[in-house]
Amino acid sequence: MKLQELKENTQAVVRDLKGDARFIGRVTSIGLTPGCRVRIIKNDKNRPLLLYSRDTMISLGRSECDGIEVEEVSA
Amino acid sequence: MSTATIALLGQPNSGKSTLFNALTGLKQHVGNWPGKTVEKKEGSFAYNGMTYEVADLPGSYSMTANSDEEVITRDFIASGEADIVCILADSSQLERSLFMLADYAGISAPCFLVLNMEDVAKDQGKTINVKALEKKLGIPVMLFSATDKKAYDRFYATLERALREKSHIDVSALEKEYEKISGYSEIKDQLSETDISGYTPMWLTVKYLENDKVVSAKLKEELSGDKAASISALGEKAGGAIATGECKFNWIDKLLDGTVNKSETGVKLGKLDRIYTHRFWGKPAVVLTVILGLFASFIPALPIMGLGSLVDILKNVVQGALSTAGCPALIMGLVCDVFIQSMGYIIKMLGFVFGVTLVFGFLEEVGVMARISYVFDNTMGKLGLQGKSVMPFLVSFGCTMGGAAGTRVIDNWGQKVLTIALAWAVPCGAAWAIVPMLSTVFFGMGAPVVIAVLLLVMILHMWVTAKIFGRGLVKKEDRCGMIMELPPYHKPRWGALLRYVFGRTKDTFVRVAKVVLLVCLIFWVLSYGSGVNDTSILYRLGIAIEPVTKFFGLPWQLFIAFVASSVGKEGAVGVISALYAGGSYGEGFMAAMGGAARAANLNELLLANVTKPEALAFIFAITFNLPCVVALAATYQEIHSAKWTARIAAYYTVGALLLSCVAYHIGLLIW
Ligand SMILES: Nc1nc2c(ncn2[C@@H]2O[C@H](COP(=O)(O)OP(=O)(O)O)[C@@H](O)[C@H]2O)c(=O)[nH]1
Repeated sequence: MKLQELKENTQAVVRDLKGDARFIGRVTSIGLTPGCRVRIIKNDKNRPLLLYSRDTMISLGRSECDGIEVEEVSA
Repeated sequence: MSTATIALLGQPNSGKSTLFNALTGLKQHVGNWPGKTVEKKEGSFAYNGMTYEVADLPGSYSMTANSDEEVITRDFIASGEADIVCILADSSQLERSLFMLADYAGISAPCFLVLNMEDVAKDQGKTINVKALEKKLGIPVMLFSATDKKAYDRFYATLERALREKSHIDVSALEKEYEKISGYSEIKDQLSETDISGYTPMWLTVKYLENDKVVSAKLKEELSGDKAASISALGEKAGGAIATGECKFNWIDKLLDGTVNKSETGVKLGKLDRIYTHRFWGKPAVVLTVILGLFASFIPALPIMGLGSLVDILKNVVQGALSTAGCPALIMGLVCDVFIQSMGYIIKMLGFVFGVTLVFGFLEEVGVMARISYVFDNTMGKLGLQGKSVMPFLVSFGCTMGGAAGTRVIDNWGQKVLTIALAWAVPCGAAWAIVPMLSTVFFGMGAPVVIAVLLLVMILHMWVTAKIFGRGLVKKEDRCGMIMELPPYHKPRWGALLRYVFGRTKDTFVRVAKVVLLVCLIFWVLSYGSGVNDTSILYRLGIAIEPVTKFFGLPWQLFIAFVASSVGKEGAVGVISALYAGGSYGEGFMAAMGGAARAANLNELLLANVTKPEALAFIFAITFNLPCVVALAATYQEIHSAKWTARIAAYYTVGALLLSCVAYHIGLLIW
């Protein structure tokens, strides 16, 4: 499923990244790579998504989330 | 004395600027990288008989050539200009922030690693075994707090050691990870005889796999046709930046395994963040924060503004003294009307810049600015800007110069210029002082309608300006949406902040003073000899081109007032009242800039001489004219580009005349 389909306070594992080299470069450099665990902190319509991963609070634009495939896991 | 050059490298929020400012103090120089729209920060310091040149490399997340910033950073390091590269990482978020180190590994320039934010990591209960990390990495590593003065002795010691050792990152473990990628070894073999100085074959291979534009193009040039074809076939199956990114993080995990023990920290949004990130209350909370900030910035500003008023008194004293001494009027004019008058004006404006830089520097420092970015990302993104740009816009309702000074929190040069270009369209405090007055005189109950229309036009103006300038300033491919760390709140460090703000205000003062003095001098020369039998250049020019300006709805008196409003909008009313009263507009202007009251019978004068359409034209002309010379100078100070400053100024002058023309002709239809 897509990252932005996750509800607040759920956890997931990144499965795949899709996009151009620039996008992939930026997303990996902030720590989101396949296999990494993320926790959704905030997911409001028309706002960037807030998530927590690798000790870091990250804010991701909604269109950026489109390129991130995740799989929900239980906490 | 010998010198060494240090380059600072680190992801945003790693504490790079804090370290740079602490090392170099006020000995820094900000310019642009040659031919690029990227800010260049350099500085120097002396320690133990050595001079150190410090280059603060432009902010970037990785060493991949995705943006101008990253290309510049990489080229600088590869050029060998730096004797040592200081890589910064955030100890409290080691896992993520060591990415820069992993991406750097394989570049030939020697380096050392600074694990900043030691204090934060300690508070989280993290312990980091530096010795073990040093052993695994093969380079000097130190724990550090850039905000702690006492930590700097250790920093200098590590720096000296790093310069002695000139060591490189041990990449063997990392390369083992890369070797798991299919095709990696084969590509690397093909590259064995290429010679791109500054990089190892491992690093080039990884960047090639990541589709790095610059590296791929270079390799294509260097390799023979069939070799290029074979690596491109191999590269296609390898999995690109996703695969190499996984390798880098695997390496980091192994690096940290056994060297860092962390107690799991839970994450929850704090109370403040729950408000700022609230779906409904977020925006009001941000706007309120900025407005409160605007008011707060008057507190430190007022004493300085008071000082400016003292200068006005000084002017009268000097004028009196000079005239009793029988000084020629020309000299007296130059000293009093140009020099002292301008100084008073500059100092008053500077007070506001000081306040705004302080308050908004504070908000950036503690981390509120990142929340503002988050909340307004969507809205500002439509203009090609970052969410933070909302702050300079709101500040510009008070003073455009303050808005310009506030753009220093925007880390992308193009977006900074665009933000200032748009902020100029926001009517500033001086416009608010005269526009409602003029509207009430001419339109009575219709004044609120005029003001509402002005605000609508402002929004339209910003939109059009963003379209016109946006393309050149913020390239489409650079308009990547928000992928940003939301840093935890930090305690402010008043000492460093104040030092920074004072330095900044001093710089602004020097630059602004130059520009304002020059412009006031020109204005004074143009209006020299004005009076009853007017012989001034401006008067003659105004009369000569009146047939043209009439078309824009501006009789010569209003046109000259419009020209004067480019110096300062406060002056415009003084000029009209002087001109219609048959007095010297030069004196009227100077008096108005000095804060003198306008003619008592101004209303009657205006109503007797100016028609409604002309008044409407004039209101539009001065509202959307360039804000004032001080804002012009502050813009130049902030963007370091005379070309762009001139371009924006010319655009606003033309734009204001066009708007006044439209307003005039619409006015003619109505009245
Ligand atoms: N507690 C703490 N805060 C720090 C330290 N170093 C920097 N900061 C703060 O971290 C924030 C980001 O630092 P800055 O120098 O702007 O990072 P840059 O984006 O890398 O230039 C600022 O609010 C600094 O005051 C440190 O060692 N300890």
